[in-house]
Amino acid sequence: MIERHSRWSLVAWLLAALLVLFVAGPLVRLLIQANPASLGQAFRDPELVASIWLTAVTASIATLLSLVLGVPLAYLLARVPFPGRRIVAGIVELPVVVPHPVAGIALLLFLGRQSPIGRVLADVGLEIVNSVGGIVAGMLFVSAPIVVSASREAFRAVDPKLERVARTLGDSAWGAFRRVTLPLAGRGVLAGAVLAWARSVSEFGSIVILTFNPKVASILIYDRFTLFGLPAAVPAAVVLLLMALVVFLLVQLLAPDRNAGHRR
Amino acid sequence: MIRLEDVAVSLGSFSLRDVSLEVPSGGYGLVIGPTGSGKTTLLEAVAGHVALRTGRILLRGEDVTRAAPETRRVGFVYQHYHLFPHFSVRENIGYGLRGQGSGVRDQRIVELSEMLGLTPLLDRGVEGLSGGEQQRIALARALAPRPSILLLDEPFAAVDPATRRALRRELRVLHEREGVTTLQVTHDFEDAMRLGDVVAVLAGGRIAQSGSPESVFRFPNSPFVAEFIGTGTVLRGVVERASPDPAAVKPFAARFRSGSLVLEVVAEREGEAYAVLRPADLLVSKSSTPGPAPRNRLAATVIRVEHGSAVAHVHVDVSGVALAAAVTTATADELALVPGDSIVVSVKATAIHLI
Repeated sequence: MIERHSRWSLVAWLLAALLVLFVAGPLVRLLIQANPASLGQAFRDPELVASIWLTAVTASIATLLSLVLGVPLAYLLARVPFPGRRIVAGIVELPVVVPHPVAGIALLLFLGRQSPIGRVLADVGLEIVNSVGGIVAGMLFVSAPIVVSASREAFRAVDPKLERVARTLGDSAWGAFRRVTLPLAGRGVLAGAVLAWARSVSEFGSIVILTFNPKVASILIYDRFTLFGLPAAVPAAVVLLLMALVVFLLVQLLAPDRNAGHRR
Repeated sequence: MIRLEDVAVSLGSFSLRDVSLEVPSGGYGLVIGPTGSGKTTLLEAVAGHVALRTGRILLRGEDVTRAAPETRRVGFVYQHYHLFPHFSVRENIGYGLRGQGSGVRDQRIVELSEMLGLTPLLDRGVEGLSGGEQQRIALARALAPRPSILLLDEPFAAVDPATRRALRRELRVLHEREGVTTLQVTHDFEDAMRLGDVVAVLAGGRIAQSGSPESVFRFPNSPFVAEFIGTGTVLRGVVERASPDPAAVKPFAARFRSGSLVLEVVAEREGEAYAVLRPADLLVSKSSTPGPAPRNRLAATVIRVEHGSAVAHVHVDVSGVALAAAVTTATADELALVPGDSIVVSVKATAIHLI
């Protein structure tokens, strides 16, 4: 039994090492590829800087919208047993399984000028084709499920009886949410928001259908690779990777305390 | 005053039905029942956390059936305290005092902290506190806004026996000092005997019996109530008239047969019945002619003797039926009973409660 256990452990370690190498290897290789001189040049490249700025701003807008629309939904999904709750939860998670170019085409059909909604949006100045609006729409579509899912789990981890106690102590439903539930679930919600922001930054498939220009960083990297080859794409890719690493560290710091809000 | 009128609540497959109960103003009511009988749901309905399917809830004489929890002026203490983990002890106690001046708030926090021995803990977090400390904080937090109604969900279930005894004493003192009408749910009938003015036994979502703790204990209305609250040994059998005169007035002298055991009883009706024999009503002696003769003198064999601090329980076999008698430890010592001893167990016919 011990012998079999040891063999299994060895196999497990080998397989795990292979996967870690497969994930970390390309990223480390990319970081090594970029030398300090090319990175410095990249930060002085006005098109790249503008693209990264555009990416950061649109990702932030999409994340904010995900929070405003997603946190109430997450709370309802976590707390209120309304009819069709599972269906709603499924719909919100659909973008995870929809290929992103397909999402882009669907968004184009739903929000483009040919659709009634698109015409209304265009009338109020919200274009989604080749505009910032299109970038935000693509990012929102793929990142909202992350906010909803993370927030729902964070709310579920807070015992509803804490809210009930707050209500008997004079809080309205909103007051109990604001003073008890949100502070206890806050780290989980924030971690979801940071992940959603990172997912928005990395989005390519839907944005390339909706808005090729102005170019977000992922599209700029693709454009440079196809037009000028690997050396032209690497510095921009490294800058984007560094942004992702910063976000990753933030998520690790914000990872919710699993015991927060649990009964003791 | 807390008054529930025909309250019904449905929560998934569970439901509370036909629950009517009244705790007078300043009184202490206890709802006792086994796990899953709906005790916590009942309290949550009173607090407004659970909507009623039918019925009415009146607090202080005012119909609050549709009122929001924050307007009902009730304090609620859950079994597992549910202190706010992101606040200090002081902030927990003062949570319900927002909107009051800081002077008034601080004075109330200090007053309750001193009353409950929490002063040294005020500025620390709630993590790592003992069960008793957390329970006291939860009590102080619930009482801080001076609610007229206090709802307690098994407040002693998660603490050790010594803390439970201390908390019971403190709770009784607090109840009298604050004058707050209290409704507590528990599965421990000792809480009811020591604290309650009114007790209701909840079984399967319905009130099985209610009344004063003494009356419920002495006169349970069903075998379930008798067994759950531990009134005594419950025997199933048949009641027969002692005399064949069918015109005899009620109650009448009768015999209760349970297997080979026959007891003389005083009955209101014939037929199938349950007899409840309280341990305190059973006399134990080694002599076959104990002083003033009760109607029932039964030859018994000692099975075992359980010694407590003041009372010993003598478990005996009478005609194949197991009974328990309570005697003082002094009597148990004098009799020097050991398993296998042949003794006589006596009980008055009027002390046997028939259901």
